[in-house]
Amino acid sequence: MDMDVKEKIPPAEEELVEKIPKKRSYFGEIWHRLRKNPVAMVCLVFLAVLILAVVFANFIAPYDYAEADLSLRFALPSAEHIMGCDEQGRDLFSRLLYGGRYSLMVALIAVAIGIVVGMVVGALCGFFGGGLDSVLMRVMDVIMAIPGLMLAICVSVALGSGVFNTALAIAVGTIPIIARQLRGSTLLIRSQEYIEAAQSFGEGYFRIIMRHVIPNTLAPIIVQASLYLGGSIMAIAGLSFLGLGVQPPTPEWGNILNTGLDYIYQFSTRWHVIVFPAMFIILTMLAFNLLGDGLRDAMDPRMRK
Amino acid sequence: MEHLLEAKELSKYYTTPNGPLHAVEQVSFTVDEKTTLGVVGESGCGKSTLGRVLVGLLDATGGDFFFEGENVTHPDKKKRKELRRKMQIIFQDPYSSLDPRMCVSDLIAEPLKALKLARGATLEKKVQELMDTVGLARRFAYSYPHELDGGRRQRIGIARALSVDPKFIVCDEPVSALDVSIQAQVLNLLKELQIEKGLTYVFITHNLSVVKHISHDILVMYCGCMVEKCPSKELFAQPLHPYTKGLLAAIPIPSLHVKKPDIVLSGEVTSPVNPKPGCRFAARCPYVSDLCKQEMPKPQELAPGHFVACHRAKEINSL
Amino acid sequence: MSLLDIQDLSIHFITENGAVKAVNGISLHVDEGRTLGLVGETGAGKTTTALGILRLVPEPGKILSGSITYKGEDILTMSEKEVQDLRGNEISMIFQDPMTALNPVMTVGDQIAEVITRHQHCSSVECQQRMLEILDKVGISSDRAKDYPHQFSGGMKQRIVIAIALACNPKLLLADEPTTALDVTIQAQVLRMINDLKKELGTAMLLITHDLGIVAESCDDVAIMYAGNIVEYGSVEAVFDHTAHPYTVGLFGSLPRLDVDVEFLSPIPGLMPDPINLPSGCPFHPRCKLATRECMEAMPEAQELAPDHIVRCHHARQASDPGTVLGDPAIRRPPLWTQH
Repeated sequence: MDMDVKEKIPPAEEELVEKIPKKRSYFGEIWHRLRKNPVAMVCLVFLAVLILAVVFANFIAPYDYAEADLSLRFALPSAEHIMGCDEQGRDLFSRLLYGGRYSLMVALIAVAIGIVVGMVVGALCGFFGGGLDSVLMRVMDVIMAIPGLMLAICVSVALGSGVFNTALAIAVGTIPIIARQLRGSTLLIRSQEYIEAAQSFGEGYFRIIMRHVIPNTLAPIIVQASLYLGGSIMAIAGLSFLGLGVQPPTPEWGNILNTGLDYIYQFSTRWHVIVFPAMFIILTMLAFNLLGDGLRDAMDPRMRK
Repeated sequence: MEHLLEAKELSKYYTTPNGPLHAVEQVSFTVDEKTTLGVVGESGCGKSTLGRVLVGLLDATGGDFFFEGENVTHPDKKKRKELRRKMQIIFQDPYSSLDPRMCVSDLIAEPLKALKLARGATLEKKVQELMDTVGLARRFAYSYPHELDGGRRQRIGIARALSVDPKFIVCDEPVSALDVSIQAQVLNLLKELQIEKGLTYVFITHNLSVVKHISHDILVMYCGCMVEKCPSKELFAQPLHPYTKGLLAAIPIPSLHVKKPDIVLSGEVTSPVNPKPGCRFAARCPYVSDLCKQEMPKPQELAPGHFVACHRAKEINSL
Repeated sequence: MSLLDIQDLSIHFITENGAVKAVNGISLHVDEGRTLGLVGETGAGKTTTALGILRLVPEPGKILSGSITYKGEDILTMSEKEVQDLRGNEISMIFQDPMTALNPVMTVGDQIAEVITRHQHCSSVECQQRMLEILDKVGISSDRAKDYPHQFSGGMKQRIVIAIALACNPKLLLADEPTTALDVTIQAQVLRMINDLKKELGTAMLLITHDLGIVAESCDDVAIMYAGNIVEYGSVEAVFDHTAHPYTVGLFGSLPRLDVDVEFLSPIPGLMPDPINLPSGCPFHPRCKLATRECMEAMPEAQELAPDHIVRCHHARQASDPGTVLGDPAIRRPPLWTQH
């Protein structure tokens, strides 16, 4: 057969007309991917509503958080008090809204401190190693050796109360855990050739850590952080119980739940003082956790379809 | 003529708990402009370390290294920055040498941004030009490395190295991770780029067929030491060092009509930690003598441009 | 009759995104004492074929059709127990990476003895003796039997892996890139050892590799795989000297070679196809210089160009024309160093 007689096949894909996709910024790309995750979006909306409600508690809450009416002790949910009343006859819903202010703020600040400090320490130790690593990690080990609550108590006593001080007291315990984790992943990333490549075009250490190391270690930390939020809310309750957090009658999720738990033996008639505070805490934790999960996936281009 | 690159007894030692590891031991060579020096050797022979010393990713322990006639063994910060623009490196593993969280155009722009050479629209234009140069379709500009195959990823690595318009590029096993048909595409690209842009390469590989195809001169390393250096054609026509002979004979030839010399080197590479005095190859060498075990041979020029580090090279080859 | 006869074997991996068509209707046979080279690039389906022979295809892989006849019995219809008796005894496999193929907490002697104990009904003294014998055969002194894998170098580990594979005198050895992880001088040692042992024991071998050089040195027959198909199959002489499939021609053209000088290589354009969406017709047609409409529409039948030389290509005769093939044998000049 002669070759010229046969038709030639059109050229391969490379030469076809090029469609250049649009460029998105780093955060634009993350948002784009996050939007496709319905679970994460539901959580995001829930958290937005919750935070708004808590911030504007003085407009939304039907009663003052300290306004007690002893005739309404342990009143079950009704049209006037949608979540019922507590042991002093105060409106539970209002207390939970106001309490969220303190709990959420302290927990968020605590986690933020924990992550930022932990990440800096971990990245430095992992990246530079040597003496710096040994010294910093031993300090972390010492902190880790002390039980979390004990540590928080000590710091709290030393610094006094206040939103930031309490947050700091709680954060101290999470710093070493995050630092350890980040040090591990930094060591792994440090051995990758793209770090060497970055060095070969003269990028400084700071730029390498910020642009290559931290973005590649952030994902697992974000999920972890969402778990710490719940832990922090309970830790605040522990401090408050010892008189180191907020003082009654100022509400706070942890101490509302703690008080409620005193009546667990009368659960059948006083269930609401346990169920509602617990629900707030659990839903918030769950929402942060699922959102963290979604964020982790959205931040990883490898999950892109 | 002035050499673009000259290394004089360049050494690099690492400290290990068991003593110093002599990764590169007194290696000397020159590379002329627009030529390729192939560095061949088996794993652990120090060839990658040598490449990293050349581009300043590692500090030399001893010896001197000249670039464009200037001693740049331990440059100051300003000089180092200037050198970064003139020397680049392409890495072996197109998977781990690209940050998985950056898209193709950001990856290629990285050196330009880091060295503050371009920004904004100029930067974008430059990146597109680079993608054209290495044959990456523009539609991949915002793809991520994991979405591309090994060949395309290696093209990103090449574009990134080319972005600063370097004169000299160290290619560290750039095709070892690729399949043969893709490997050939990348090798052709590197050759075309050399002709087009007048690049000088140090091409590091364990694959002698590849190095023969791309190099003008070849440096054979064994256990940190240079054993033979000569023009590419000559190495394959007349290898003088017993190790090179064994190495050449070990390569399977995809043809039924080539008769190879029947040499199989016995034994394995000795550890470069706390090496014994004498020739590093002595333990495996079929021609070993007492002198070989006592004194490390110095490279000697047995033919014009043909250096061999072997005490008995003359005898063996009856020169 | 062949020792191993594979007819029309298809293996697909069923994933969420669709079926990964790893092996698509291949037929091959390995005769007693012969070595068949299975050549292809990453993703061609070589390893899947070998695992299919041992019925070890990992989930979610499915053997869809075909038969694998070993000594006249179909492995695919055997009971699990019967297949287990075959593995390591009649048919054994050498894996690519010697670093991970050995158990790090068992001495190498125990690892070899374990296989013998499993398959041969002999006393522990006989087992030990047999273990030492086989260690000696692969060139490792018997006093190292009590050492652990990490005390050996890469080449030595591969020797131990080979010792385990040969421990029960198998009739068929499946070697999956046995030397890819090794340096060339060590590769030469190991290849020579495998070839010598094969001759001594009369074992047949299926050698999986991507290196045509190794095929030329160690194999009697060769099958070239592309996208799960065998595109060219025959004796080494036929395939190397009368290359007929455009893909094989492309493979040879892509290789930088010690025995031929070219300024630029002639690579195959494009990339391996996605095994989920294989091209219609001949899977090689998008990359093929000779492709025509016929190639797009119909998968070519296997045709016998010469005895012992089977090609799957509509234009096989044209591709094998001198001139289309890489160079002329006359211009391949042997390197000078062969004169030593």
